[in-house]
Amino acid sequence: MIDQVLTAICEIAGADEGEIAPDTELFEEGILDSFGLVELLVQLESFGRRLDVANLTREEISTPAKIAALLE
Amino acid sequence: MTPYSGLGFFFALALALLPVVVLGLRGKNLRVCGSLVTAVMLLLIFDTPRKLLTLALFWLWQLVLIFVYLRVRKRSEKRYVLWIFLLLSLQPLVFTKLSVFVQELSVFSMLGISYVSFRAVQILVEIYDGHLTKLCPLDVSYFLLFFASILSGPLDRYQRFSADLQKTRSPEEYETLVKEGLWRLATGAIYNFVLGNLIWQYWVSCMPDTLFGTLGYMYGYTLFMFFNFAGYSRMAIGTAYLLGIEQPENFNQPFRSVDMKDFWSRWHISLSTFLRDYVYTRFCMAALRGKWFKERRTCSYLGYILTMLVMGLWHGLTGAYLVYGAYHGLLMCANDILDTRCKKFKALKKDPRASWWLRLLTLHLFSFGLLIFSGRLF
Repeated sequence: MIDQVLTAICEIAGADEGEIAPDTELFEEGILDSFGLVELLVQLESFGRRLDVANLTREEISTPAKIAALLE
Repeated sequence: MTPYSGLGFFFALALALLPVVVLGLRGKNLRVCGSLVTAVMLLLIFDTPRKLLTLALFWLWQLVLIFVYLRVRKRSEKRYVLWIFLLLSLQPLVFTKLSVFVQELSVFSMLGISYVSFRAVQILVEIYDGHLTKLCPLDVSYFLLFFASILSGPLDRYQRFSADLQKTRSPEEYETLVKEGLWRLATGAIYNFVLGNLIWQYWVSCMPDTLFGTLGYMYGYTLFMFFNFAGYSRMAIGTAYLLGIEQPENFNQPFRSVDMKDFWSRWHISLSTFLRDYVYTRFCMAALRGKWFKERRTCSYLGYILTMLVMGLWHGLTGAYLVYGAYHGLLMCANDILDTRCKKFKALKKDPRASWWLRLLTLHLFSFGLLIFSGRLF
């Protein structure tokens, strides 16, 4: 799952593969903003995965690893 | 009796909370006792038969809608069904707001209607999402009518709130919560009654109707709004803590914000995150899924304008609130453009010296927004 999440985030942020690590702080580093997160949610839906962001804090989804863990 | 309005309220609050604190310090669950305290406090707040009847009808209306939709949702996942229930749930609020044009509609108005309506909307959307499949009428009622934050927030989330209701804390854990609650109540009272009132009396209300007077009013009004509103929030959170409910913080040093996006993550946090999750995110997701626009980022710009217009009109259907919403929508779009197209902007935000200028600019942009909000300009 972590690979799919990383690929999706790199695509959304326009970053190269390997530029974003599993423990990169996505919001603090300015990699994802509110719209970036929406784009990620839509991409995750295409993998058949859903993330209930309304009931999660930004801290709980702050890194690719945390997002992947929630989707496992 | 208006919540947090005077000694009478605080005396009643202290008496009502006494049995809760005793039970909490003995390590008991506070759900039932807290519900009873809310019922007693509502009787004091809605202190005429007419006010009480309006509250009772509104509560029953929302409760019926929620439980009927809970059953309907098991058979139908159609989005339009959710919309019908949302519109029915929001109907009293819309009528209240429309009462500025049609006096007769003021029969629907009720203290706290904006907050209670959004609490109900949130439950309906969570039912649609499939996150709520079973509900307890007592917990839903407690959440909808929770008196501590009925006047001016924070706007809590049902799942978080009901999780707190199930908790049984040890006496030590509850004691910590009581100390934190009392600290918030005391500091909230200082913010609101001392600082807010002083700023209003000796600064805001003395400003003449000249250009410099309006400028002085803008700064004073901004400070007044912060101390008044953050004070109310702190008192509400403090009261909730004593009832064993850890309501989320509503302000986090907003005047340190380096841009408007940062600002809305620090000012009236519970409302801005509510609108982000239930308006902006859902609008943008629908627009992206349906490929409504050629340029993907257009979804975001329109999402911000829509979200901020909802925020403005939630305060009331007047020109000042409409312009206030549109102004913040445009600011958020400008912020988004700078974030995505200007690398220097990102660098400036991280630069310790330059970020102070950005903080000053953000403060002025927000203060001007509040000047619009105040209705002094037109």
